[in-house]
Amino acid sequence: MAMARDAGARARGGSRRLAFFMAVLRTHPSFALGYAIVLMVVLLAIFAPWVAPYPPETADPVAFLQPPGWPHLMGTDATGMDIFSRVIWAPRIDLSIAILGTLLSALIGTTLGALVGYYQSVRGLGRFGAGFVMRSADVLQAFPVFVFAIALVAVFGQSLQSIVLAIAFVNAPIYLRLMRTQVMSIRTMRYVEAAWLAGMPDWRIIARHIVPNAMAPVLAQLSVNIGWSVLLTAALSFIGAGVKAPTPEWGSMIAMGYQNIVTGHWWPSIFPGLALAVTVFGFSLVGSSIEVLSDPARRRRLAGRLETVRGIAP
Amino acid sequence: MTTKTRAEWTQLGRRAFLQSGTLLAGAAAMPQILSMPRAYAQAGSTMVIAAPATPQSLDCNFDVSLGTFEAIAALYDGLLGFERIIDPDVATARREDIAYHADKMGGVNMYGKLAESWELDPEGRWARFKLREGVMSNWGNELTAEDVKWTWDRAFALGALGAFYTKVSGLTRPENVKVEDKYTVSFNIDEPNPLLLKIHTNLYTPVYDSKKCREEGGSEDPWARKFIENNSAGFGPYSLEQMVRGQQAVFKAREDYYGGKPAIDRVIFKEVPTSAARVQLLRGGAVDIAQYLQPLEIISLKDLPNVAVETVPASFMIWIELNAAMEPFDKPDVRRALNYAFPQDQVMTAVFQGLADPLNGCMPNIYPGFAGDQVDYSYNLEKARELLAKAGHGDGFKTTLAYNAGDPVQEPIAIIYQTALREIGVELELKKVPAGSFYNAVTDRKQPMIFYVDSPWCPDPGYSLTLYFDSKSYVNYSNYKNDEVDRLLGEMAATADEKVRLDLAEKAQAIIMDEAPWTFVAYPNYTMARKKDLSGWTYYTSNNIRFQDFSRG
Repeated sequence: MAMARDAGARARGGSRRLAFFMAVLRTHPSFALGYAIVLMVVLLAIFAPWVAPYPPETADPVAFLQPPGWPHLMGTDATGMDIFSRVIWAPRIDLSIAILGTLLSALIGTTLGALVGYYQSVRGLGRFGAGFVMRSADVLQAFPVFVFAIALVAVFGQSLQSIVLAIAFVNAPIYLRLMRTQVMSIRTMRYVEAAWLAGMPDWRIIARHIVPNAMAPVLAQLSVNIGWSVLLTAALSFIGAGVKAPTPEWGSMIAMGYQNIVTGHWWPSIFPGLALAVTVFGFSLVGSSIEVLSDPARRRRLAGRLETVRGIAP
Repeated sequence: MTTKTRAEWTQLGRRAFLQSGTLLAGAAAMPQILSMPRAYAQAGSTMVIAAPATPQSLDCNFDVSLGTFEAIAALYDGLLGFERIIDPDVATARREDIAYHADKMGGVNMYGKLAESWELDPEGRWARFKLREGVMSNWGNELTAEDVKWTWDRAFALGALGAFYTKVSGLTRPENVKVEDKYTVSFNIDEPNPLLLKIHTNLYTPVYDSKKCREEGGSEDPWARKFIENNSAGFGPYSLEQMVRGQQAVFKAREDYYGGKPAIDRVIFKEVPTSAARVQLLRGGAVDIAQYLQPLEIISLKDLPNVAVETVPASFMIWIELNAAMEPFDKPDVRRALNYAFPQDQVMTAVFQGLADPLNGCMPNIYPGFAGDQVDYSYNLEKARELLAKAGHGDGFKTTLAYNAGDPVQEPIAIIYQTALREIGVELELKKVPAGSFYNAVTDRKQPMIFYVDSPWCPDPGYSLTLYFDSKSYVNYSNYKNDEVDRLLGEMAATADEKVRLDLAEKAQAIIMDEAPWTFVAYPNYTMARKKDLSGWTYYTSNNIRFQDFSRG
């Protein structure tokens, strides 16, 4: 009985949360747009092989530089590859590089950040280590992100793995700082002291009590960061340090086509450019919605407003 | 025009030019809205050239950059030149008469530049040149046989490109070049050499003003390297007025040039790195000539009322080196298969827009001795598959094709080739090499397949074939080695009998074409894109322009 009531309450809580979320989307159409864009891009990435009318890496030199129309919706490029198919295939590369790179940077950043935040005020080796990590992060962040990424790709060699690594490296300090600030304030909370007094080892305190409570800003950052990482991937490919031709990727598509703009052949680079812009925009919107929703104070204000308007609350 | 007004005018022009450049950078996507200032264009006897780069160095013993070619042709003259004729294909253009003339001395139709007359040993062991008298350098020193001697001594002493030129012309030591009297100099060599005359038409064998060079260099720099790098001391039609690397070089016509003062008073050679921007400047009328444009850009200029576009056959070739020192390209059948699988016709249309010709031989098709069409490598997948199977690669293989990021035609060719090769099971990975390190990637000879664009400057079959196919040649970047070819080329180098040489050349080409050390791509031809009111353009096998050929109207 008790269990059934529990499950029911949870289900009610879940559906109420969903209702709240939907209400937020209704009152904030920009957030809805963001989710729609991201969802579409993700779906395209998954279903590209079935949606795309042409293979993305097959040249057809007989049909070169055809303007947008039928059967080539977005036209063809200088080698006769179908732009529409390539634009659809591109998120597979761009998104997977961006997501992998961002997750890796979040993993490195939050782990180090939690340790640094926890040990910063402890005398001895911990403090020294924390200081060392923070100063290293300062050094990393002193480089312009793009230049640093180019240097990393140059060192590791031109491959997908090195772009992922480059993205992970340049973003890790952001998560490191976010996590450290959070952990430093949580560390002084009574429940953390209680856990320590109860004899819990440090790693368990960090893993069980601190990290779960410090994750909110990190999650908000993730979405924004994925958008920026897509942009960084495209930028690296644009200058030739990214993916290899003719891999369908927005940045390299822009690079392959921009020489032709002057002669009036705008479509090889404008369409991938638009796709890139829309995607980054979508991820930014999602990021700002997460920021609002994960901040308890702002969520409460929002809920209060919604309650007075529609009688809905989480 | 007084000095003062000229200076003011230059200032104004430069500002206008920079403004147009800035606009361009921002508005590349909207070309039609730009209107170019016409400051330079109306300036009568001034000619403005938009080029990919200003000269790196002005010393042709060391530098082979595009800008250096143009500068050397303006600042220096050599002993001889090929006579010029109307281009058989394009009536408004002229070109050198490089054909074999059985009735002429050495089989070549030449005129004297710094040399007034010359004699050639029928055996090809010596050549004697009588210099023009009263020819002045841009520093006011008179040309003498000493200058010619000093020039070749410099080549011997400094090595580098000089070493190449001494070697191909059969000179082994400085004593081979002898001052006979004040105005007579002779070249005397041990073995017969067929290039004794032709080598003196080469852009990179100009004569220096040795008196000025000695003064400038002193004892510390006896070959005046520092001076020559940034300045000039020669007998050419122009002198250097200004050089700011990365921006512009300005050349001024010499009043006392022995051939008469050139029609164009002043040439401003501007660095405009992207071809898209160069096209725009020509369209808007801000420059008179836009160099090195892409095929699509050239097509886009064709209907403009104030622009003339001329495409003529040239000595340029583009090909893909198939590295014979690496598997599986050590097998001629694999190399043949790769040629049969190359969709040459489609590349001609899609990439070159019909401006190029298919590469159907292994040397420039405009040179004497060119055989051409000895083997038909037309697109034929059946044959390609057969040959691969015969070579033991019936299932195909994986390899890498390296291309130059700085040459916009190479990437599309590579992509089209990649798609085509999939049909015969060959998986091609494309490797984009930055323009700055591309030449190193070629000379390293470690890539299985790599693009190369080149033109042998001396219009001679022996010279061209030896460059790319002699197993000991530095430029044989495909590691091609065939003993019979080596023997034929060796024979060609050792005889001055043109008839015999042409016969040997044909035999060598037949073997080379059959063994296919390259994927044969294209003769890209040379395109001059200029203002309509500019006339006199002449095509040279060195693929550079000579400012003194031009005039207005």
